[in-house]
Amino acid sequence: MISLTLTVNGADRELVVGANATLLEVLREDLLLTGAKEGCGEGECGACVVLVDGRAVPSCLMLAADLAGRPVETIEGIASDGVLDAMQEAFVEAGAFQCGYCTPATILVAEALLRAHPRPGVDEAKDALDGVLCRCGAQPKVLRAIASLMYGEGGA
Amino acid sequence: MTRYVGRRVARLDARDKVTGRAVFGSDVSLPGMLHGAVLRSPHPHARIVAIDITAARSAPGVAAVVTGRDFPYTFGSAIKDQPFLAIDRVRYVGEPVVAVAAATEAQAQEALAALHIDYEELPAVLEMEDALDPEAPLVHPDLEHYERGSHEIVPGTNINTIYRYARGDVEEGFAAADLVVEHTFTAHAVSHAALETHVAVARYEPAADGYTLWVSTDRPFQVRNELTTALGIPSNRVRLIVGYVGGSFGGKNTLIAETAAVALARHTGGRPVRVELSREEDLIASQLRVPAILTLKTGVREDGLLLARSADILWDSGAYTSNTVGVAIRGAQTVFGPYRIPHLRLLSQQVYTNRAITGSYRGYGTTQVTWACESQMDVIAERLGMDPLGLRLKNGYVEGDPYLNGQIMHGIDLEATLQRAAAEIGWGEPAPDPPEPHLRRGKGLAAMIKPTATPTSSNVVVKVEQDGQVAVLCAAPEIGGGQDTVLAQMAADVIGVPLDAVAISTTDTAVSPFNGPVASSRTTYHVGNAIKQAGEEVRDGVLDLASGVLGVDVARLDLDEGVISEHGVGPRITLAELLGSFGFEGHSIMAEARFTTAGSPLLKAEPGMEWMSSIFWMLATHAVELEVDIETGVVRLIKVAAAHDVGRAINPTTCEQQIEGGVIMGLSNALFEDLAVREGRAGVTGFLDYKLATMHDLPEIVPIIVESDHSEAPFGAKGIGEPAAAATAPAIANAIADALGVRITDLPLSAEKILFALEGDPPETTDRSSMI
Repeated sequence: MISLTLTVNGADRELVVGANATLLEVLREDLLLTGAKEGCGEGECGACVVLVDGRAVPSCLMLAADLAGRPVETIEGIASDGVLDAMQEAFVEAGAFQCGYCTPATILVAEALLRAHPRPGVDEAKDALDGVLCRCGAQPKVLRAIASLMYGEGGA
Repeated sequence: MTRYVGRRVARLDARDKVTGRAVFGSDVSLPGMLHGAVLRSPHPHARIVAIDITAARSAPGVAAVVTGRDFPYTFGSAIKDQPFLAIDRVRYVGEPVVAVAAATEAQAQEALAALHIDYEELPAVLEMEDALDPEAPLVHPDLEHYERGSHEIVPGTNINTIYRYARGDVEEGFAAADLVVEHTFTAHAVSHAALETHVAVARYEPAADGYTLWVSTDRPFQVRNELTTALGIPSNRVRLIVGYVGGSFGGKNTLIAETAAVALARHTGGRPVRVELSREEDLIASQLRVPAILTLKTGVREDGLLLARSADILWDSGAYTSNTVGVAIRGAQTVFGPYRIPHLRLLSQQVYTNRAITGSYRGYGTTQVTWACESQMDVIAERLGMDPLGLRLKNGYVEGDPYLNGQIMHGIDLEATLQRAAAEIGWGEPAPDPPEPHLRRGKGLAAMIKPTATPTSSNVVVKVEQDGQVAVLCAAPEIGGGQDTVLAQMAADVIGVPLDAVAISTTDTAVSPFNGPVASSRTTYHVGNAIKQAGEEVRDGVLDLASGVLGVDVARLDLDEGVISEHGVGPRITLAELLGSFGFEGHSIMAEARFTTAGSPLLKAEPGMEWMSSIFWMLATHAVELEVDIETGVVRLIKVAAAHDVGRAINPTTCEQQIEGGVIMGLSNALFEDLAVREGRAGVTGFLDYKLATMHDLPEIVPIIVESDHSEAPFGAKGIGEPAAAATAPAIANAIADALGVRITDLPLSAEKILFALEGDPPETTDRSSMI
């Protein structure tokens, strides 16, 4: 077991975790932040994506022990005081989800995309979002949500 | 007038889902919970000679090790053929053999590694065609002795379902035809691949000698009944609690993760046990779309009038029947398509094989039969020199036509789906020249028809609390389709309250009123009609109460947006004020309703044939424009227009979600997904090799909502969801044929097959591909 301080959603959390515990396990089981989901456990589906150093990464492939001092953001930290942020609002408005299982990851990927490229082109958006699988087929409305946020109602 | 029905209101589950607060089955965690894991069969067919659990039993953290002998129950809704854990024999690669519960997942996995099982391999039935061979090994030698429903089997064979249907005289029809075509098509098994794998938490309740389960399922009561029937206990000893479901698509409708969870929970002294399938387990050992071989012979007149069709369908249930029997009966009927054909004959047979279990999949057989029917329609059009759209319009059902059983088709508009989908891709206009000489462009379309399960029923309770908030109690889990939202929209309008005053309950079989499954696109229509009945009663109750309190004739009162008004006077009192005035005494207004489609005059059919009627019919057309690279065989979809007759859209956004999602699932099934089964073993272990369509694979998708007029539907709404994936694959194949002049009859439509087809050689790596 390893003691570490993990900075999650701006708060320092003192933890004792297994040396081989993944970030996903620690988030879900130790910190009870269950927004990140396990869809495959092999980094192929993207349902577990969270932001580390502001970049979207599959948390099932990251060892928690490697992340001391690096900021981790999860879906639970995106809304502040119960107020949805603009991306979450855009997803609600566009209906950019169905079962919702991949939605936290998809929103975080979109957040990271817009922080890096405030006005991404469609191909950039597709490149970023290609790593999150969605079996319901919410992709068209996800693109619309992002477009509406950048360019106003209805998108570009 | 409606305030909410017909509007694009935000989904009720939106906030939970965009904040990560939605609790799915996979998020359930209980104090003292153990983790279950399952050792699975490595063989397609083998006798279990010995199981040594000694080392596993004493491994660190292990609380229980359970074999089929320890929990010797079997289940199955149509045929009781499936053990919870294999008993003496395994019948497919991946079958659960031993289950282990331990304090941690890692300990459970370590205990599995300590198990020792001796198998004696047996001859296996690896292909469905071989299952029919009189010399074939029997997958279930005891088939005829199993408990089962009333459907026909063939004792002493592997045939677990046989269904025949005939109308008119097909031979006469073929004789009168100017053109008779015959083709064999194959539809492959695909995985539901919901992002949430199958998961269950089970807890044994010693006092009641029963179980509480937290599960992800689309049919709580049916799964509960399957379990209580298997265990031979009354229904009140099992309680199913269902939260948000992370996708189902017809897959989460029977005991899957539940089998091991329940078997383990019985042996852990009341500690709950969680079983969550890995992605690999989910792909190879949950259930799959039923693969099929479909031979269609169709006779047509020179002018395109369809005269006769015979269909011979072979379905592969895999090792156990699960929910496939209805697919081989109800699903098979739609092989005749949405067309008037006077002379028909159907032989539908389903066989056991030593392959993965198959089951219901979005469309309940419709994706498979539509693939065959609509591929052949284009061959017919080509042979006759007809426009494929014209051929379909000439033969397509219109309002008032009799269905196969004489039921009068009501509330349908196939023609509008054909015309609008075709127009959207510029049907009849030549495709623009491709930008490169090695690219070819093509267009294609396909239509489909689907019934809904009939008759079925839904019960609801609607209650208005003292502060004016409305709770709708029903058992319709939110599996992603937006059903909570459309049900709330209808409730708000029927009662006359704001949408945000309405909550749709989650499901707990101990307290929820009965409902049929969230399947067959039945929820909006059936639960909606029940809400309409109970909601009207609640509204009447509110107005009666207000009449007494205000001293105003009830006929002069109206309830809208939670405010009671008097005609000619204006607002008098809010619902919250009215009920709140009762203070501590309390006053809640409640109504319950049961809606059933049984007995509807719309179901009237020829004597004895009413069981084939559907309370509503779902029609759709998908039209595809694409580009094929003749050097690589790679297909690039440019545009898919999908027009669906939904009756009326309660919420256009949720309808579009279903249509877009159906198209994406359909194109993903058709172009990419392949379990690569060889000798009974899947060649995939995860999403790296079982490829789903992703962002970059998607064309422009144009969902088109066609509205028709159904007299018994709530606000006119039929259903959408199940039909949405069915027409995509044949529309793509038809567009490929238009682009290249070659036809692939064997799914999936891989680049490799297209290249081989272009070269005129059969692909070496597939068994049954044929070209026309």
